[in-house]
Formats: sequence, structure tokens, C-alpha cells
Amino acid sequence: MRGSMDTDPLAIQIKLVRKYIKLKLIEDNVLFRGHDQERNHVYELLRRTVLQGESHSALLIGPRSSGKTTLLNSVLHQLSRETDLENDAIIIQLNGLVHSDDKLALKAITAQMQLENTVGERVFGTFAENLSFLLSCIQTGVDRRCRSMVFILDQCDMFCHSGISQTLLYNLFDVTHSQTAPMCVIGVTNRLDIMELFEKRVKSRFSHRHIFIFPNEVNDDDRYDIISPLEGRKRLFVELLSLPLEGSVSPRKKRKSRKSIAKTDETACTSTVFAIPEHILKGKLDEQCLSTMDRAFVSDWNAHIRSLIENEKVIDALEKLCYYTVDEQTFRNVLFETISKLSPTKPNINVIDLTTAIDNAVAPEHRVKVLQSLSILELSLVIAMKHGMEIFDGQPMNFEMILHRYTKFANEHSSSQSVPRPVILKAFEHLQALEIVLPARTSDVGGAAGDASSSRVQKEYKLYTLAVPAEDLGRAVDTFKSLPTEICHWYSNSVV
Amino acid sequence: MDEIYSKVVCRENQLNDLFNLFGDDNEPLPCSIFISGSMATGKTLCLQTVLNYLSYKHVFVDCIECYSSKIMFENILSALNDEDEDVKCENFMDFINCLNRLQNNYEPIVIVFDRVERLRNMDQNLLPVLLKLREFCKLNICTILVTHLIFENFNFKFGVREPIKLYFPNYNKEELFRIIFLYQKSFVQHLLNHFDIEDETTELIEKPELFANFLNAFLSVFYRPCRDLIELKHMARLNFIKYCEPIIKGEIQSNDLTKLWRHISPILKTSLELLYLRISDMRQFKPSPGKENSESLYAKEFCLEKTLKDELSSTKTFAQSFELPYFAKYLLIAAYLASYNPPKEDKRLFMKNHGKQRKQMRQIKAKAKINEKLSTQLGPKVFTLDRLLAIFYAILEDKIGLTSNLLAQIATLVELKLIAGSKEIDLDTAKYKCIVGYDFISAIAQTVGFNIRKYLYDFI
Repeated sequence: MRGSMDTDPLAIQIKLVRKYIKLKLIEDNVLFRGHDQERNHVYELLRRTVLQGESHSALLIGPRSSGKTTLLNSVLHQLSRETDLENDAIIIQLNGLVHSDDKLALKAITAQMQLENTVGERVFGTFAENLSFLLSCIQTGVDRRCRSMVFILDQCDMFCHSGISQTLLYNLFDVTHSQTAPMCVIGVTNRLDIMELFEKRVKSRFSHRHIFIFPNEVNDDDRYDIISPLEGRKRLFVELLSLPLEGSVSPRKKRKSRKSIAKTDETACTSTVFAIPEHILKGKLDEQCLSTMDRAFVSDWNAHIRSLIENEKVIDALEKLCYYTVDEQTFRNVLFETISKLSPTKPNINVIDLTTAIDNAVAPEHRVKVLQSLSILELSLVIAMKHGMEIFDGQPMNFEMILHRYTKFANEHSSSQSVPRPVILKAFEHLQALEIVLPARTSDVGGAAGDASSSRVQKEYKLYTLAVPAEDLGRAVDTFKSLPTEICHWYSNSVV
Repeated sequence: MDEIYSKVVCRENQLNDLFNLFGDDNEPLPCSIFISGSMATGKTLCLQTVLNYLSYKHVFVDCIECYSSKIMFENILSALNDEDEDVKCENFMDFINCLNRLQNNYEPIVIVFDRVERLRNMDQNLLPVLLKLREFCKLNICTILVTHLIFENFNFKFGVREPIKLYFPNYNKEELFRIIFLYQKSFVQHLLNHFDIEDETTELIEKPELFANFLNAFLSVFYRPCRDLIELKHMARLNFIKYCEPIIKGEIQSNDLTKLWRHISPILKTSLELLYLRISDMRQFKPSPGKENSESLYAKEFCLEKTLKDELSSTKTFAQSFELPYFAKYLLIAAYLASYNPPKEDKRLFMKNHGKQRKQMRQIKAKAKINEKLSTQLGPKVFTLDRLLAIFYAILEDKIGLTSNLLAQIATLVELKLIAGSKEIDLDTAKYKCIVGYDFISAIAQTVGFNIRKYLYDFI
């Protein structure tokens, strides 16, 4: 199916398209869209730190995958082109998830400042001592000129939890106030309540410069208009999936493309707009590869993408996605899945593939599928438990109670095969393993039973609660293949 | 390619999905994939075949083996490292540094974490970092999480980067049939190894139709309570021998399906009771009852197995197998009554002149019936030694003295794990709990001719 058609020109083209767009979806962490005000703000801060030696601190706050890190990357990328970033500044990137305690953070700082040899076997009393030593090292460097430091703290909220006294944050913010070294500290977090997490002494040293980034809020060319999420998704769809047209485009073609794009996106006129920044491509894709791509094919492809977003089904699906989530990562995952389905036998994006990918991403209903994968015995136990919980107002139940309800049902319907008790117990244990039933916490049981002995209760008498919502169970029963009718009736006949 | 599809049957869609996501030719891998699906649905098998076929650099980590993150990191690194050297890796920072040191080109790496639900109890930052490992190490790396739970069961304290989710549905009846049918040869071989069969019957048994008929009958009984392929395969292997027995003995013609069905259906029903229990593991090499082997060792072992199986298969015989002394039985009954009756009712249950509470009782009884919260369902309650002895003397007809022998029997019952309690008997503070079920105790009561229902509060 794959690999045999390497010589086919179409196959090569498709492979290239796949690879290029996948790279764009996965690796491109520099191209930043929208939020010009915020971006300029950050850019100004960093530029002043690097060029004029000012000290700053700021917090970049925004929900997950709203482009906080991308914004920083793009600003740093721009700075590295405009200034001599390597000699003027040291950029230190820490992540709260990875550098989970102060010792590790210091180690990482030392490594990123390339001062491991200087520090050597030296032992420091406190974090502050160590940090000031590091700072003094760069001041007494070879050229006697002080380099500015840029600290980027990803997952800033994690630094608040790690040390009890928030030493790292305290020291970093403290340095921004003293004149020892020009330093810019930018915290990146998705927690809006980050200020409450800061200790008082940390808070007082912080500049209280908050930069908020919210998705769906695209300000275009200084006219601050809010476009609908759907429109934003459509634009992104075109931007992410289109291919760059290289070199001089013949005027005829240009006119044609301008005409068709004009409806959707004015900025897409220039042909190189869809390209991935070069430094990312380095080592991953041959430059020549791209130029071998047939120009007609590329423009066809771009036309195909533009025609897709006019498609009603695609618009519906995108609308659905926007309805569920504004998360850009999910959107990229969906596109990745769709793109990866391209093959020489299927050179175009299939609308159905896209819609199913979106459906799977936003409403996977895996829980319903898990319920449907149960054997009939196990499902009966779940139903028995649901009925029991209905009667007793959601009180936890143990195996004996569920068994009691189940046998009552099974005796009424002689058609169902009787199953011995050990097998039922095993089925119940299977439900536990799938976490469809969860052990009730002892505090729920009440003071009397919740003593130390509860851990030593036999497994038949341990209390469990049902962990699937009734709606999911209902849907699972409705769509269960070849479910005996008596179980269906049993489910729908309410006990109360 | 076709070879793979014939090797891993009934998983074409999933294989295609995986192939598409991995792509070929150093295409960038997705950041992370989350694969869920019940036990024995071919998750690991599919991944293994796909990764081996693509010959990507990959590591399989079974999270059950990694009780600390250090072990996990070092396992992964040493598996990825071609040279044999000891890697020391304590934390994520070292891990990421090591990964970057190991490789600096864009060659794809896949790390598969099997049974990833185990990692939920470990460090909080473990799973979030694994899900976005690619962002940290600037390699073409992909983490795959394999688990039988769904993504919603992973309650992350702070959100994570969303992985691409794949779901492996269970095999349905037809697919199970197809898969077990693949093992026909090995089943037949297994059968032939343990019987001396003439050539003509061998031919009969080797017929695929026979096996297909057997499987149909088998699945019609077993599909309802069990969907686990591994377990079904095991049970099918055991039962196929029994299915073929009358053919070997020449009692039933191999094409007489109704007779064969009549022969096998009771056997299937009884073996249903042994589902998951794996009691007859050793017995599978021996012929089933009726065809005794001449070798004495064989027979002896066989008898042992048989009794064990019978004992476990029904609680009644299991209870009798203990062969408790007479008073110990009464003690056990007393313990059961003490555990499952409320102490308030002792007076009414065990004394002859308990006054006139009849009317009140009926009301309470009616209430209890509606409530369904019978104490037999709520589990045993703790009782003191005094109460146990009081009930013991109340239900025992002949009068015996309280001797040390009697007390020693309580200790024996505790040793046998029929009663839970402290091993040494401290007469003042000892508390006990009866931990046998109703079936067990009624079997015991029967042997001494005691009607236990009469003395249980739930059943009055």
C-alpha cells in the first residue's frame, strides 16, 4: 500500500506536502498571529532590557495553548535578528514542570549561563548567595561589560508550589530592583489567580505588569475588532494548510490567486506567507525538496484548501469545534490527523475525514464506548447498581447489595443464563479495574463505619459508587449491539 | 504490509490509523498519542507490529515495573543508548539533557508507556511533562500512553497538552471467532500430544468444520459473561479436549452435531463456573474423567486436582472439607449469628421468655423489607467474646463447661481465617468478626442439623 510507489511523481509530491504541513503543524512555534498590542508590549520590554540595560518583570497570563510561549518565541526570534542577542544577553528558560525544585533550577541556570566550570565544587549556603555569585561572574567577565539576563519562567505557578518560601521567585524579582545586573523576568502561566499564590514579599517586588492573552480576541491592524471564533479558525485553517509558492509568481497566476483569496483573507496575497521560518526547517527538510515541488500542483493544493472552507460541511464541523473548545492545540491535532491520512491514492483532504477527526476530538464519548465493551453480565451489574443508587439517593453500595438486585432480576427472567457467584464477583472486579465503579471514600460512609477497620473489610462489603453518569449509561444501553430486550426493559423501567 | 494485516487480524482500522500518524521518511511525529481500550484488545500488539515494521527507534516501558521515576528514566535511556554504559538519571532535567545528548538529528523516536494508569500515583508533574516531552527536547520524539482507562479518568490537577486520542474497541463475537480460529492448529496439536489417536480419527478432528462448530457452541455460552480474549482462549483450549473426547472414543460421530452439542453443553455450563479462576491449570494436560490413566502417579495427581476443583467449585463441599469438630462448628455458627444480628435483638432471638414485642417487631420487619438494607448485605459487625459465648451456649442443646479446649478452638477458627480477630485470646478486650459467607455457614449448619435461618434477624 505504501512505499511501493516511490517513483510515481504524484506520490513524491504528496509525501512532500504531508511532511511540510506536518512540520508546520508540529514544529512551528515562532509564527505568532494577532494580539499585536500584547506582542509589542513584550517586545518593548525585552528590547529595553537587552539594549538599554533596564530591569523589568512581567507576567504573561492566558489559558492553555493561547500562544503565550509562541509569543515569546516570536519576540525572541525578532530580537535575535535585530540585535546581537547572543553577546548582549543571556536567555535562561526554566519550566516549572521540569525544574521542580530550587536546586534543579539553580543547576539549570548555571548550565544555561555556561558557568559550570566557574562554579565547580564551590558550596553555597543559600540560594541568594549562589545567584549573586552567578551574577557577579558575568559582571567580571572577559569584556568587563555586563550582559543583560532574560529569565523566562514557563509554568510560573509551579515555582510557587515547589519551594515553601518561593526562593527562586523572590530572588529573581529582588535582583530586578537592585542594580547588580539588568534583568528581565517574564513569568508565563495559565492561572489567573497567580497573584494570590505569590507570597507577600514576592508580590511586593513584582512590578505588577500583567499581560493577558485570550484566544478569540484577534485585533487586526490596529482596528480593534473582534472576529468570531469561527472566522478565526477558518483563517488558521487556510494559513496552516496552505503551501508557500516560491519565487516570482507569474502575473497571471497572481491575479487569479488574489481574486480567490480576496474573499477570505487579504493578508494571504503574498505568496511566501505560508512558509515555515527557515531556521526551524534546518536539518529537517531539504531546501531543494521544496523547490522541486510542482508549482501548478502547489497552487492547485492551495485552491483546494480554499475551496474546503467554503464547503458547508467543513464550516459546520469547524463551528462545532469552536463550540466545544478554543484550544488551538486540539485544532492542530485534528489537522494533523487529517493530513496524515493523505496518500497517493487519496491526494485530497477528505471532508469526512476532517469531520470525523473533529467529532473524535471534541466529543469522543469514550466512556460510552467503554460501557459498550462490557459483557452483558457486567452491564447488568452496572444497571443494578444504578437502580440501587437511585433508590438510596446515591448512597454507596457494596457487592452484596448489587448482587441482590441482580439476582432478583435474573430470577424474574428465566431466559437469562444463570451465572455462578464467583464469576459475578470477578465481573465486578473487572468493573473496578475499569474504574466504572470507584471505592467510596470513608468520610462519605459516616463516622461509625469510617474507622480504621474499613480498610480491612472483605471485598464483598466494600462500598462503591458508580462513576459513570446516568446519561452515558443510557446512551450505551440504547446503542448497545444485540442487547437482550429484557435488559433494555429493565434499564428503562424505573424502580422508584 | 499484507503480512501485517494477516498477522494482526480484525484491527485494520487501528493499524491504518497508527501507520498514518507515524508517517514515513522522517516525517515529524505527533507530540503524543493516548491509546485506550479494554484489556486484551490488541493495543500493544498493534503498536509493536507497526513500530517493528517501520523500524523506528522505540522503547516499550511497562509502567508496572517502574515504581519510581528514576527507574523509568534509566530504563528508557539505556534502551535508546546503543552503547552499553550505565546511565544515571535522577529527574526530568537530567532525562531531557541525556536525551538531547544521545541524539541530535531528526530521527524519529517513539516511547511507549504501557499501563500508564500506574503513573497517576507518582509525581504530579510526570504525566504532563511526558505528554509534551517533544517541546522540551527538540527531537522528533513521540510519547504514546497505553491504558485500559479513558482519558477522563486521568484527573490532571493542572491541565495538560491534549494528546491525539485513539480508542481500541472490543472484539465482537465474529471477530473473537476469527481470532480463536487462528489457533485451531495449536489446539489440535495440543490434543494430539496427550492422546494416542488412530490416524483416521486424527483426520476427523483436524477438520476445521468441527472446530468451527465447537467455537460456535463455546461462544454462545461464554460470550455473555466474558469478553476477555485471553481468558476465552484459555477456556476454549480446555473445553475443546472434552468436546473431542467422545469422537476419540468413538461414541459420537464427528458429524452428529446435535449429539455433540448435547454432550458439551453441560460441560460448558460447569466450566463457566471456573471462568477466571484458573483452577484446572495443571489438569489441562490430563484426560477428563472416565478415561483414567494407568500410571499411578498420574491418577493420584489427578485425584488431588479433582478434589481441589470440586471443593472450590461449590461452597458446600468447600465448607465440609474443613472437617471442623462439633463444638467448633457451633462456635462458628454462633460467631456468624453474632456478626449478622444486631445485639439489641439477642434477647428476642435466643431467650425463651422474651416478653410481648410481637406487634412492634412486625412493624420493624416491614420497614426492613422495604429498606432492603439487610444486615447480611452490609457485612459482618464486630462482637466481643462474651457475646459469642452467650450465643454459643444459647444455641447449644447439651451443656458443656467453658474449658480451655473450647477457647483454643476459637483460636483455631481464627487461624483458619474463618473468624477475624487477634490471635491471642485476651478475655477482656478481644473483638472478633465472622468472615465467612452465608452459603458457607448454612452448609456448616446443615451438618449439625441446625436451622440457621430461624436465628437470623433478616429472615424472620
